[in-house]
Formats: sequence, structure tokens, C-alpha cells
Amino acid sequence: MKTNALCAAGTVLVLVFALASLFVGKYPLSLSELLHGNEMQLRVFLTLRVSRTLVGVLGGFALGTAGFVYQTVFGNPLASPDVIGVSSGASAGAAAGILFLSGSSAVTAASFAGALLAVICALALSSLDSSGKNSSIVLAGIAVHALAQTALMGLKLTADPERELASIEYWIMGSLNGISLSSIKGNLLICLLCLAAIFLLHRQILLLSLDEGEARMLGVCVGRLRLFVLLISTLTVSCIVSLSGLISFVGLLAPHGARLLTKDNRCSTMFLGGLIGSILLTGADLFARSAASSELPVSIFTSLLGAPFLIFLIVREGKLR
Amino acid sequence: MSFFSVSNLSASYGSIPVLHPLSFDLQQGCMMGVLGANGSGKTTLLKSICGILPHKGVCTLEGTVLERLSPKELAARCSYIPQRSGISIDISVLDVVLMGCNPRLKLLERPDHSMKRAAMQALSLTGLSGKEHLNYQHLSEGQKQLCILARTLVSGGQLFLMDEPESALDLHFRFAMLCLLRRQIECQKRAAIVTLHDPSLALNTCHRLLVLSEGQAAAILSPSSDSLETMEHWLSSIYGPVCLRRVRDHKGQTHLVMLKEREEE
Repeated sequence: MKTNALCAAGTVLVLVFALASLFVGKYPLSLSELLHGNEMQLRVFLTLRVSRTLVGVLGGFALGTAGFVYQTVFGNPLASPDVIGVSSGASAGAAAGILFLSGSSAVTAASFAGALLAVICALALSSLDSSGKNSSIVLAGIAVHALAQTALMGLKLTADPERELASIEYWIMGSLNGISLSSIKGNLLICLLCLAAIFLLHRQILLLSLDEGEARMLGVCVGRLRLFVLLISTLTVSCIVSLSGLISFVGLLAPHGARLLTKDNRCSTMFLGGLIGSILLTGADLFARSAASSELPVSIFTSLLGAPFLIFLIVREGKLR
Repeated sequence: MSFFSVSNLSASYGSIPVLHPLSFDLQQGCMMGVLGANGSGKTTLLKSICGILPHKGVCTLEGTVLERLSPKELAARCSYIPQRSGISIDISVLDVVLMGCNPRLKLLERPDHSMKRAAMQALSLTGLSGKEHLNYQHLSEGQKQLCILARTLVSGGQLFLMDEPESALDLHFRFAMLCLLRRQIECQKRAAIVTLHDPSLALNTCHRLLVLSEGQAAAILSPSSDSLETMEHWLSSIYGPVCLRRVRDHKGQTHLVMLKEREEE
């Protein structure tokens, strides 16, 4: 019951933040002007704000949910999709896109391809080890991460320092700015489908947290299921990261926040983790666009909001004991 | 044809053989204890039958070769209790027990009401009723073992493979657990292979005892019919000099008691 109340409160908060995200920004919008059909206002609303809010809400949700899956499957509180090298793959892809392609949707596509390539490499490398241990996936991820970082460095070296290098750096810092509705449809659709699959597979994800032999003797095809679950949860993250650039801390913090509040790992807790991710990312984005005269990287605020929240939860937990 | 049979089962870690080829049969309704010194291959035997460890040889349950089954088919027939369950997340006791229903559920299916009822029943059999909503991580080690036993009872497998299921239990629960297990196996026509560290407990609760010595099946004993001398001989091969006695308790029931004799310095 308590979890349901928390989820309801979380949903309300997400809606409030989403509404704020629709109307707050450099170009102030008002509901009455929108309803009266002010053309300029409508255009800003439809081309900029709707897409930005959608990516904020869904992106935060996806990062929080994927973080929950990773922490559960690896049985490691520090695990996040980054361990498989998805972020560095996305960065390298984006850098290649910025250097060799033109247009923001081409960069998005390139970074998505980079992220996907990194994930497939890591999972394929790990499947070479027939013992199929969790640690082999992590080690393969570290290797792919290092390779992607090297590729990124090489691309940066060839970049023109005035223009291209700056935009690579800015992309890596992460921002929800300038995401257009037309370029996000595919990503959001894949992201939603994968999220639905994750929630349907929740019971199996909990079984994956057991030791391999124990899970197998409960009827779980551990190797195949783990590969599939990691693939879809990394795919959700790739969809978001390729749009926004790197977003720190949400995937790590949101599931911990949810678990500290509910003290279990039910489906509702995973949902709550997603909601906390949405709140964090939309909240951080609101600050990023209104704190200074120019747009700031969103990761600064996800960390600034997230770290105190985590410390608050830990301190509260300590007092309750 | 026997209910469960193992023929020429052997296993090794790398090039070091841990289990030398061994064969035995098990009848329906029979609980077989496995006794052996540390490192004699008890856990390896169970893990090989489960297929968790690569091995040679064939295990057959009711005419089905276990090695040919998919994990799901295998889990529907055999239930395995590891020495220590690897549950590391916060999860309620009831949800742990319901994990035992997984072999009968489709990938996306959830446990239904009848399964929840069965889980509650298993919890009350193992003395954990009223604790179903507690966090598994907050249970004592002994209660955790009882919870995992409840999960095994729910799973409905024909063959139970248990690796020291009583190691963290106190005297009362240790005896109660094995008696419960024996009753379940006799009533529901299942079979079980249980590795145990306590020979007295094994002698008084198991129908048969497999004596493992350095990866070899030294003997299979029947505590109710074998002579004390025969059993003493084989138990001495594991534990050094021992002395077996039949003793009556206050209620007139006979127990087998094993005493460890002091060895020459």
C-alpha cells in the first residue's frame, strides 16, 4: 500500500514537472495565448517544448529502470549501463557523426549506432567465455569501454579545435536542448517497447539475481535470458543517450532512491525508480535552461540534485534503524 | 525399472578428478543421505546430477535422461537446494517461496492464487507462517534455510537434491526438517538425495546412506536393516574409529547413536 501511495505521489510530481517543463524557458509561453492560437507560441510549444519534455520524462524513466535492471542482474549496487560501455560507445559515435556527417539527426543516428555497436561487442565478447559468468560481461564491457574511449580520443585529435571539438565536448556534457520532434520518434518508440518488455520480464529479472546454478534449477535459461534482458535495457539507454548526450548519476541513483523508500524489489519499486529518474532529469533540465543566461549541461544539475537526495535517504535510513 | 538411477557418473575440476565413476539406484519414496568427509565430492555429486557441473555418465528419472532436458524441463522434475542460497536483494519471504513456481510458469506469466495458497501452506509446514511479508534478508540463517525448503516443496519436483539443508538449524528444527522431508517424500512418492554432516541425524532419518570416500562410492547402507558392525566399518572409513549403539528414548523409540572413539596419539 505504501508503495502504491509513493508511486501515486511520484506520478503527480512527474506531471507537475512535465507541465513546468512545457512552459518554462527562454521564450515564456502562456496557456491563454496558446489556446488563442498565437502562431509563434504554438511553434515553440510543438517543435521545442513538447519534444524536450518527452525526452526528459521518458529519458529519466528509462535511465532509472535500466539502472534497476543492471543493479539487480549483476547484484552490484554500483552497476549501471555504463559498465557495458554504452555511454562511451554513444560518445564515440556522436563524435564520428559530428566530424563526418551533417545535421543533428545524423549525429543522433551515429551515436545510437555507436552505443549499439558497443553493447553488441561487449555481449558477443562475453559469450566467448562459455562459463557465462557475470564477471565476464563486466570485463568485456570494460574492454569495449576502453576501446571506445580510444576511438573517441582519436576522433577528437582529428577534429577542428574551433568548431568540431567544441561541439563534441558540448555533446558529451549532455543537454536536452535543441531536440526536435521529428528526430525523436523512432528512438522514443524503441525505448517504449523495450521498457514494456522490461516490466513484463520483471519476475525473471529477479530470478537472474540468484546464483547461476540456483536460477538454472528454478527453470531459468540463465545465459540467454541475461543476454536478452541486458540487451533491451541497454537499448533503452542508447535511445536516450543518443538524443541527449551523457547524463550522469540518474541511472545509478534513481533505483537506489526507490529501494530505500520501499525496501523491496517489486515491480512497483522498479516503476518508482523510473519515476524518480523522470523527476530528476526533468527537474535538472528546468534548472539547466533557467539558471543562467545561456543553456547549461544537464548533468551538472542531475548530480547537484541527485547527490544530496541520496545522502538524505541514507541519513534517514540510518535514523530509522 | 528403478525410479531414479545414476550410472557411471564422474566429474572433474579441470584435470583433477573429483568424482570417480559411480552408479546407484533410488526407489520412489526413498530418502538417501550422502555422508563423506570434507572434500569427498558430496556437493559435486549433487551439482553433477543437476547438470550445473559438466560431467560424464547418465542420470535417469522415471525413464527420462536428465542430461537431455532443457533447464525448464529439468527444473520441473528436480528441485535443488544449494548450500547457501544466493538471494542478495531485498525480497519478501512469500516472493522467495513463489520463485519455486517458476518451472510451471510461462516466461511472462505470474503466480496465480492457487500457487500463492500452496506457498502459504508450505510456509506453515516449515514453521514460517506469519512471516510471509518479512524481508528475507532479515531472517536468521536457519529461517532462510526453512524458507528455501518451502520453495522446494512448492516447486513440485519428483526428485529433491539438497546440499546440507540443515547446516544452520538448531537441534529441534534440524530433526523436524528432516522428518518433514521424509514424510513428504514418502506420502507424495518422491525421492531425495541429501548431503548431511551429522551422521546421527542421517542414520535416524534417511532410508539409505551413500558413503562417499575421496570421490568414490564406498558403500550404500540401509540403517534399518544393516548390522551395526557393517555400518561401523563403513562409517569408520570416513570418520576414523567410531562406535554405533541402538538406544531407546523415554518413549521407547529406538535410535542409532554414533560415538567418536578417541584415536591413538
